[in-house]
Amino acid sequence: MNQTSLQDLRDEELVALCQSGQGEVFEILVRRYMEKAFRIALDFTHNTEEAKDLSQDAFLRAFSRIKQFDGRSSFYTWFYRLVVNLCLDYTRRRGRVVWERLENEADGAVAPAGLTDVSSGPDQEAMAGETKRRVDLTLEAMPKKQKTAFLLRNHQGLSISDIAKVMKTTEGTVRVYLHRAVAALRQSLVEFV
Amino acid sequence: MNERTCTLENACKEFEADLVLYYYGDDSEADHLRVERHCRECSRCRGFLEDLRKLLPQIATPQELPATFWDRYYSEMIEKLALQREQGSWWRNFFSPVRAWALPAFGTAVVAALALFLVFGRGEHKPVPSQIPQEVLTDANSLEFFNSMDLLESLGTLEKTEGSRSGLKGLTHT
Repeated sequence: MNQTSLQDLRDEELVALCQSGQGEVFEILVRRYMEKAFRIALDFTHNTEEAKDLSQDAFLRAFSRIKQFDGRSSFYTWFYRLVVNLCLDYTRRRGRVVWERLENEADGAVAPAGLTDVSSGPDQEAMAGETKRRVDLTLEAMPKKQKTAFLLRNHQGLSISDIAKVMKTTEGTVRVYLHRAVAALRQSLVEFV
Repeated sequence: MNERTCTLENACKEFEADLVLYYYGDDSEADHLRVERHCRECSRCRGFLEDLRKLLPQIATPQELPATFWDRYYSEMIEKLALQREQGSWWRNFFSPVRAWALPAFGTAVVAALALFLVFGRGEHKPVPSQIPQEVLTDANSLEFFNSMDLLESLGTLEKTEGSRSGLKGLTHT
């Protein structure tokens, strides 16, 4: 099977090929999910290098455990769980996340953080900076499960059902987490919206 | 500002969770219609929803990363995976010729070694010398007394032996 037709295969078909010994097929899954994995790790770490390491660790872990994947959930739910668990371990280890100004990356690889618009005037820039600071603080102070549910929904666009699978909880619980997280954020940004 | 703050703080409590789910499109069709109907009549909840629409996408604005970043990320990942595959295959190759019988053979060898050790390694039991009670040792007279008792016992045994021998002789003579 050539590379082009492999690219068209569904996740579960690629996983089956990996399980049958074609480990190199896993590289297609890396290409498919590297951005999402990196972004969820970045949401937790706020550091590009650590996000890269964490997300790459998640891929390596997924690869080494690929034979344990039984297809009861989709591959990406299973993989997201690995990423999220690694991120939660990371936050537990770190205790407190030190925020990094991404625009100062040495190679200029990273653009300014989302809430800061460099094209806007100084007042708007200052306001955006303050908004970002408040969002960061609120997310940091939030219980881990609320934060995870919020990041997966708001930043990653996962459905409630998928978040429930990733977090191994019920959809109702995820809805509650999401509501509480949004309520907390709204409260902290009440002057800025 | 005050008016907006007031609007946000006074969003209908029973609709707040539904409004969040409505925003994300995670509600049922019936709830979706119910929220829409309610928002047509309630300016506070309408304002709340508007705020969510302004606030939440702002928080999630993704950072644009250049293609070079992703190229580097991917090539690093491929290298790490190749290394992991190599390590995995070295391990497998090492064990693959013996994989079928290695584990039971290893287990049997361990059990046999353990059994041999238990039988021979710890088999040299030195007899524990009979201990003379301390109260006997402290008194020299007692020791002599017990020694003489031993002697008497020995003499008694000899006499018995002699007696039985002479009895046997008497029987043969008769």
